[in-house]
Amino acid sequence: MRLCLVFVTLIGLCPVFSLSAVAAELDAILGQENKQLGVAAQPVPLTDDLSFLRRASVDFIARIPTNDEIQEYMGWPASQRREKLLNKLMAEDRFTDRWTIFFSDMLRLRSSSPGGSALIAYVHKAIDEGMPYDELSRRLISTNGKANVNPEVGFILGDNADPLAMASVTSQVFLGVRMGCAECHDHPFDVWTRHDFYGLAAYFGKTQRVETRFTRVVYTTEADQTSVLWPPEDEAESKDRAPITPRFPIALDEDSSSSFIVRFEALRRKLADKAVREKAEADADNLIDLVDLAAAKAELRIRGELPDATTSEAKRDIRSIDIQKSLYRTSVLREELAAFVTDPRNRYFSRQIVNRIWKELVGRGFVEPVDDFRQDNLPQHPEVMDYLADEFVAHGFDLRWLIREIAMSDVYGRGHAPDQADSIEREELESKFLATPTRRMISEALYDSIVTAGHLFDVKHPAGVNTKVVQETIRVPKKIDAADAEGGVEKINIADLQETTVSNAMPLSQSADSSGRYSLENAIELDFAALLEQKDDDLVIDRMAVMSAEELEAQRMAMTRPRPGMDYTTKVVSRSYDDNPRFNSSLRMASPAPAGHFLRVFGQPERQQLGDFRDDNASMRQALMMFNGRLTNEAARVGSLEPVHEMLMGKKANLDKAIQFVYLEILTRVPTKVEVAESREIIGRDVLSGMEDLRWVLLNCNEFRFLP
Amino acid sequence: MWMSCKDYRVTRRQMLAGTGATLLGMSVSDLLANTGKDHKPLAENVILFWNGGGMSHIDTWDPKPGRPTQGEFEPISTTVPGLQISEIFPKLAKQMHHAALIRSIAGTQGAHGRATYNVQTSYLPAGNLIHPGFGSVVVSELPNLGDLPAYISISGSAPRASYLGQQCEAYYIATPGMKDPYLSFPERIAETRGAKRLETLAKFNRRFAANKNDVRLTAGKTSIDDAVELMRSPALEAFEFSKVPQKVLDRYGDTTFGRGALLAKRLVENGVRFVQVNRGGFDTHSNNFEAMASHGEVMDPALASLIEDLADTGMLEKTLVLMVSEFGRTPRVNDNAGRDHWPSVFSCFMAGGGIQGGTVIGSSDQDGGEPKDRPVQVPDIHATLCHALGIDPEKEVMTPLKRPMKLVDDGTAVKELFG
Repeated sequence: MRLCLVFVTLIGLCPVFSLSAVAAELDAILGQENKQLGVAAQPVPLTDDLSFLRRASVDFIARIPTNDEIQEYMGWPASQRREKLLNKLMAEDRFTDRWTIFFSDMLRLRSSSPGGSALIAYVHKAIDEGMPYDELSRRLISTNGKANVNPEVGFILGDNADPLAMASVTSQVFLGVRMGCAECHDHPFDVWTRHDFYGLAAYFGKTQRVETRFTRVVYTTEADQTSVLWPPEDEAESKDRAPITPRFPIALDEDSSSSFIVRFEALRRKLADKAVREKAEADADNLIDLVDLAAAKAELRIRGELPDATTSEAKRDIRSIDIQKSLYRTSVLREELAAFVTDPRNRYFSRQIVNRIWKELVGRGFVEPVDDFRQDNLPQHPEVMDYLADEFVAHGFDLRWLIREIAMSDVYGRGHAPDQADSIEREELESKFLATPTRRMISEALYDSIVTAGHLFDVKHPAGVNTKVVQETIRVPKKIDAADAEGGVEKINIADLQETTVSNAMPLSQSADSSGRYSLENAIELDFAALLEQKDDDLVIDRMAVMSAEELEAQRMAMTRPRPGMDYTTKVVSRSYDDNPRFNSSLRMASPAPAGHFLRVFGQPERQQLGDFRDDNASMRQALMMFNGRLTNEAARVGSLEPVHEMLMGKKANLDKAIQFVYLEILTRVPTKVEVAESREIIGRDVLSGMEDLRWVLLNCNEFRFLP
Repeated sequence: MWMSCKDYRVTRRQMLAGTGATLLGMSVSDLLANTGKDHKPLAENVILFWNGGGMSHIDTWDPKPGRPTQGEFEPISTTVPGLQISEIFPKLAKQMHHAALIRSIAGTQGAHGRATYNVQTSYLPAGNLIHPGFGSVVVSELPNLGDLPAYISISGSAPRASYLGQQCEAYYIATPGMKDPYLSFPERIAETRGAKRLETLAKFNRRFAANKNDVRLTAGKTSIDDAVELMRSPALEAFEFSKVPQKVLDRYGDTTFGRGALLAKRLVENGVRFVQVNRGGFDTHSNNFEAMASHGEVMDPALASLIEDLADTGMLEKTLVLMVSEFGRTPRVNDNAGRDHWPSVFSCFMAGGGIQGGTVIGSSDQDGGEPKDRPVQVPDIHATLCHALGIDPEKEVMTPLKRPMKLVDDGTAVKELFG
């Protein structure tokens, strides 16, 4: 592929900017399809290099480029810029972070549901390690186990492992089919019947969600009996209802000789062979390790430094395995379902994800809404969609491959419809993928872009210039007389009591504390690696799950015995601190963020109900948050540690240079002469506060939040 | 965020402006008749006091004197002959001639999450569909009355707007009485400087959208205009208590809850349609009486002063006040002097908005364990609010999956409340 590109570029046969064979083929098929449709309009030319840099950076790593990145990119030879950029962006951790958000939205992952945070971390790891999409899906559909320990199980726990809910989720999320409509009646606009729906739900019928008493451990396992009965509750007496045989309602494309399936199978065989080879090598290594370890242990034991603990260790290990096995029985039915869903011959599966990722990058799906594939909602450009879907399968369901190919295509790289186009022309150009629709950054990208533009990932003010004094209500342990404490009686210091009275009369004094007052703009990052670590107390918890109620109660009594010295009182204190602004990335926050948070205000979905997509409407609250919030205002403020300060206040101060610099930093483009003159006027005499005003306007303007 | 509600306001106002106006050949009165309303709205605003955790009905609105379930509180007489409430509400007892009680709510949900969902939305939680809370229903159906956000939740969260759209979500006020930082420029940005910023911003956005027939760019303008209008609105003063005399604060109790009640009053006076004031700590599995006594100390002056003030200014006529919880608590007092979850029967407090003062709807049995007469289902409360506000509870709205959902899950208004 690389060779081909060099060849094409060298002989100058490449009139458009297609960097890969697949992307070029995709553009060609699109051209043919548009011709067949009788589209007269010409495609809008590709956007310029700086616009492409901004667009791809936001789409791939969810933030605008920094000045250094702009310089590096423009330093590359023009013919290689775009490809080099995409490869570089895909290698960044932020690429994984950003696409984890995409999958969290699609799969409706919530940090707050049981095992939800661990599941998000798991999906993150899967994307990072390039786990094929079919494998990821299979795991999510079929895994039983314990929340947080078997992270995949968080997926069905998100819907309480309810068979009917899971039937809706499986069809809508993985297949783009709203079979959930057939839960209560045959689908009004499609072929699915209630019987189809129940047959699908039956795959989940034996899965049980269990919550242990006291420890509140949540896990799933398989029961012997199914809970899904036919006919439905409202159609028959309970005595007439019987278990329904699980049935996958979609017929698989029988033709296994299609080229993409043959290529897919060849690829998988190759990978399997490789894995077997590697495992054989690894086993040999392990054997050597084991022998070495045994020798070392024997040596230590001879020297009396190692107790002979192997027997008890082995016993413990065996017990833990046994407990886990009996607790979390695997679901044969769901494994069967997962195989149907992810079968390369199931075109719904590949089309669904291709359509979603296409929409995410291009701004418009082949099928809209993206989860509503049905007979009377046929795709625009089915040939492009199927070409991409089949190639995605042939390339082993490789998500990075798919994202890269789409971004390499001309469709992705095009400019917007011309300014003078009326709404009908605009719609024609955009629906035929001949122009890029106006797209607002997703909320996380907007947040991180403001942090980037405002140099807020690091402090930009010297220590001490942001000192603030706050009145705070704090909790302090009550003073306990040592002698009485043993008897469990506490003596409270009189002075503390008075303090308590005073503080109770006051509202919690967080008014001066910016982090409290502006908490709707905080971003606290989750530690994904830690979420996936096995915890030491797992075994303990497993054991508890098999304890009797009496044993648990005895344990609870033991733990709730009153402990001396655990009582607190409140106190009001004055505290000064350096309020030097600094912000984290929002990409790894617990998600969805709380209601009213910046991310939610800018459209992060609740990820609860199906079909709840990102809301990209403008709202008054967005304006209020951007006008008056801490993030925008601190980003606009000029810190003496950032480069523009020197351009404004240094010995070689140069206002025009500073203006050009902030335009580049904030909007990734060079200002026009008119804009420079206008900026000088806005900045006025007090250059620091004037520059702050200019930056505030640039961060707030539509050009900042809408992609070029 | 209130854009679509505001757009709606414009069309409604324009529509109502000319009495002879017709739309598609129908007269205004035809249109109103077709919305399912059979009367003029009685109320314009709602103040909902949400007592999270499940407030004991026996220790508040439904005392059982002489029964073993009564517990530690004595009942006291009120300004309504024959009506007694718990002694934890001495001041409120003097306002009961303005208020009504429902003592026969027959709940079905005993877990906090499901019961809260049920009482706040009228629906039961169902799979992966979220039903909107009642505040969102109100602001989606009724036009805005002033500059302020139409739906405000104080000291806690409100249910989601879900398929009614982001514009019908609640605006949150964390600390009542304190200035919301998002409603004005930061302190270091003076008014003139802020105005200059906004002017420049408008110019930049105009230039960016120039000649582009792109609704995605022009929609942002409306939201900016709304924000600026709000930031410049004199009504914003309602949020801030720095000019409120200490005497007034003290009458409400000068607690977070008291400030919440006072803020609610100031907000409805400024046209806010729906205010939710949240209070927690009612899940009294142990030391129920200690907890309820201190709840009384906080709630009594706040609620009594609010009702009195609203009545004095005439606002009570068009403001419906409702205090409710997700369920009641067990008649039996447990070994920890607590009461546990009890959905089978519980009570709510209502006042204003056309409600006949002194009304008591239904009753529970002698121990406060089951409804004795006139059982009221949870969705009936929502239908009652709809009745007061002139909203058709049967109206259907579409979910994202194009499934029609009624505004209220099959409730019937308790019309006896309105005389």
